[in-house]
Amino acid sequence: MSLLVARGLTLEAEVEGDIVPVFRGLNFALEPGRVLGLVGESGAGKSMVGRTIAQLLPPGFRVSHGTMEFDGADLVAMAPEHRRSLLGREIAFIPQEPLTALNPVLSIGAQLDEHHRRLGVRGRRTLREYALAALAAVHLPDPAGLLSRYPHQLSGGQCQRVLIAMAFAGHPRLVIADEATTALDVTTQAHIIALMRELQRASNTAVLFITHDLRLAAGVCDDVAVMYAGDIVEIGPAAQVLGASRHPYTRCLQLANPPMLGTRRALYALPEQMPGLRALARLNGCRFAPRCPVKADYCLRIDPPLEGDLHRSACLRPGLVETIEVADQLAPPPWRPAGETPVLALDHVSKTFTTGTWPRAVEVAAVRGVSLRIAPGEFVAVVGESGSGKSTLGRLVVGLEQPSAGRIALAGTDVTAGDEAARLHRVATVQMVFQDPQSALNPRRRVASIITQALEAEGAKFAVREKRVRALLAEMGMPLELGVRMPGQLSGGQRQRVNIARALCSVPRLLVADEIVSGLDVSVQAQLLLLLHRLRQDHDFALLFISHDLSVVRHLCDRVLVMHGGEIVEEGPTETVFGWPRHEYTRTLLAAVPR
Amino acid sequence: MILAVVRRLATVVPILLVVSLLLFTALRVLPIDPAAMSMPPTATKDEIEIARQQMGLDRPLPEQYAIWLAQVVTGDLGRSTHLRRPVAGLLAEALPATIELTALAMLIAGSLGLAGGLMLFALRGDAVEAIAETGTTLMMSIPEFLWALLFILVFGVLLEALPFTGRLGPGLARPMVTGFLLLDTLLVRDLAAFLSAAQHMILPAIALGIAFAPPIMRVLRSSLIDVYHEDYIRQARLRGLSETRVLLGHALRNAALPTLTLMGVQFGFLFGGSLLVEVIYSYPGMGNLMVDAVRNADLPIIQAVGLTYCVVVLLINSLVDGLYLVLNPRLRPR
Repeated sequence: MSLLVARGLTLEAEVEGDIVPVFRGLNFALEPGRVLGLVGESGAGKSMVGRTIAQLLPPGFRVSHGTMEFDGADLVAMAPEHRRSLLGREIAFIPQEPLTALNPVLSIGAQLDEHHRRLGVRGRRTLREYALAALAAVHLPDPAGLLSRYPHQLSGGQCQRVLIAMAFAGHPRLVIADEATTALDVTTQAHIIALMRELQRASNTAVLFITHDLRLAAGVCDDVAVMYAGDIVEIGPAAQVLGASRHPYTRCLQLANPPMLGTRRALYALPEQMPGLRALARLNGCRFAPRCPVKADYCLRIDPPLEGDLHRSACLRPGLVETIEVADQLAPPPWRPAGETPVLALDHVSKTFTTGTWPRAVEVAAVRGVSLRIAPGEFVAVVGESGSGKSTLGRLVVGLEQPSAGRIALAGTDVTAGDEAARLHRVATVQMVFQDPQSALNPRRRVASIITQALEAEGAKFAVREKRVRALLAEMGMPLELGVRMPGQLSGGQRQRVNIARALCSVPRLLVADEIVSGLDVSVQAQLLLLLHRLRQDHDFALLFISHDLSVVRHLCDRVLVMHGGEIVEEGPTETVFGWPRHEYTRTLLAAVPR
Repeated sequence: MILAVVRRLATVVPILLVVSLLLFTALRVLPIDPAAMSMPPTATKDEIEIARQQMGLDRPLPEQYAIWLAQVVTGDLGRSTHLRRPVAGLLAEALPATIELTALAMLIAGSLGLAGGLMLFALRGDAVEAIAETGTTLMMSIPEFLWALLFILVFGVLLEALPFTGRLGPGLARPMVTGFLLLDTLLVRDLAAFLSAAQHMILPAIALGIAFAPPIMRVLRSSLIDVYHEDYIRQARLRGLSETRVLLGHALRNAALPTLTLMGVQFGFLFGGSLLVEVIYSYPGMGNLMVDAVRNADLPIIQAVGLTYCVVVLLINSLVDGLYLVLNPRLRPR
């Protein structure tokens, strides 16, 4: 018998007085001991499935029809007290952000004890034994020492292990992992996944694995359900769904994902983005149809049923899915003459930070003796895990930090001194695009004013700025009327484009981009990568691309630097470094990437 | 940890020096002659001049300050010019009384604030919320001296339920052990005196504390709302904890942090606000001592009381910082 079954689950949301159908009769089943992946981009409704199970829905949301049965009992209709008694015991959740999912003011021991007490463990000594055993089960070193520590003293991976220990403490029959490894480094992710599989197999637990990462899902899950705008569009054994997809959305997602193996092919950039909650009310028929490359008129009217035996998909034209293709070669980078002055030259640059206060002050080296050259027009990536010093390197280049030692030259001019002349030269030569587009844009300024801030500082006339805004917006592929909007009215992808446009406004020779696509969905990421490729053909700028995502780096950059512990441990052409890694750390990094 | 405390105390010293300097110069600038004030009205000009020399008032100001400071550090706060008693002794009687009163007032404000904050949080989004909001605004807008007069009128005069002058009922002996009346009466096991002392403190303490409760309520309410958006609250619910357990075990302690900061600031104001309330209730504390001293231009008392206020406020701040370290492990040195 299936452990978890959704039957015709219909979820409605009240938005500004209207009732919007979010789920239109969701059906899926999860067998004991199996792993079902829920994949799709943000806004697809993946997390909402988990929240329906716990019935912790956002205000205004309610299940109007259908059931979500756990072991034969409907979680929706059951008494809240009954459902609560299942949570933590039979049904456990592993959260997305391990660092914030533990209470910051309680020690790890206190939080484990609280959970064990709820599971019926009594007595101080017994509680301690249980806590130690739980921490040992997730392979955390020094469990006794950890009990008295606080969440902020642990790394993200360690916190996630503690949360996994709590989740599996009651030997639950169902575990819901909602983007459980998204916030972690790639090597940590590999360890956490291995740990979850180990515990899951040991106690024959069923896992609902929610992720946006198709490659990860392919490696982890037995079955996969692809979600789009609240619908399951394709479901079946992972190998079949992701290997021979029968729905255009699954196919487009896969083509939007830069591959880690094989040739560097072009990416498929789906136009627009996932419809928001309000838009769902107006969507009839297939919800994917407005963005679908193989749609017909009737797709917009007829709601396709999930059809098939083991591998089911909801598409009226499944035969056309394979016709969706991309160019299997990337356009080569524009030709450059050899021997140009490097646009960026670092010579033995180091940066040390002092933490703590006297007499316990400790010097921490974030960057140690880094030397590198970037030629005009060259796209160079810096990869490494959090704490490797790659962001500090970026900040040193744009002058947000002063080097402790070494020399920095931009386009042949030494700017190490950091005086007014160096600052002016720097501003004219290098621009930075930040990771979080939300906080990088002033929320009180209009898009047009943000984009031309650099001209504003020069005292350019309104007409000049207006012309530049038009040109830049057109180049970013954004409608002109966006210029009068506020950043809060834009989507994540649009905000990041505004960010790039702002950086390009003053025609920099070097762009420093720190994790600029990491918070974005695959299809939006593909749009941005495409945009960067195109801008490269038309503009003369080099790129220092800081990223933890090796597949994106492989797709975009000609040369890669691998950073570890503040040092560059390996560098070379991307294909060479990724194909034949020489340094131990590069190999570990590459081995951890799901393929 | 010890290092942090030492570092903290080291910052207090310059503040105290600056305050003492301000107090000293401000009072010397006043056109008051302490020498003349300390002599009987029949004294001649020569006699006053001799007294002035004896008191050291003919020396240059910096020297006078140095002498005064040296005496203060050794605990000699001088003699009151109109009460003709050592100031240290006067302070020893008045300070515990005021500390008792303000601590009780803060306790009342804190309890009301906690209960009200939880109530406002529970009512959020409810129609009753507006009424509760109006109520707390009213509580906050009435100054403490008006509350004091209202309470005397209602509970003292109309209902005759509670006493409203002094510290003890007639015929009761005042035990002297620590100087804190509630504590002393308990220590000598004089229950009648303890009850009388408690009754005498209720009205002034409530009058003093009541206006401080609404800000605590509001800060607690909004911090609770913030905290409830945090991941760890959702995760606690997903572990199946009851709402009560989520509130008391997880949310409240996090929401208490901003509230504690506010209460630390409030305590300083409360200590200052005790002045008017003490006068209204003829309560023999620092406020009455100060008002009396100002009326009689008794410089040594004014100086001592001013300095004491400063020390108390700084101590409270340090205490709040210490509490903060206990409640918030993120601030502890690694």
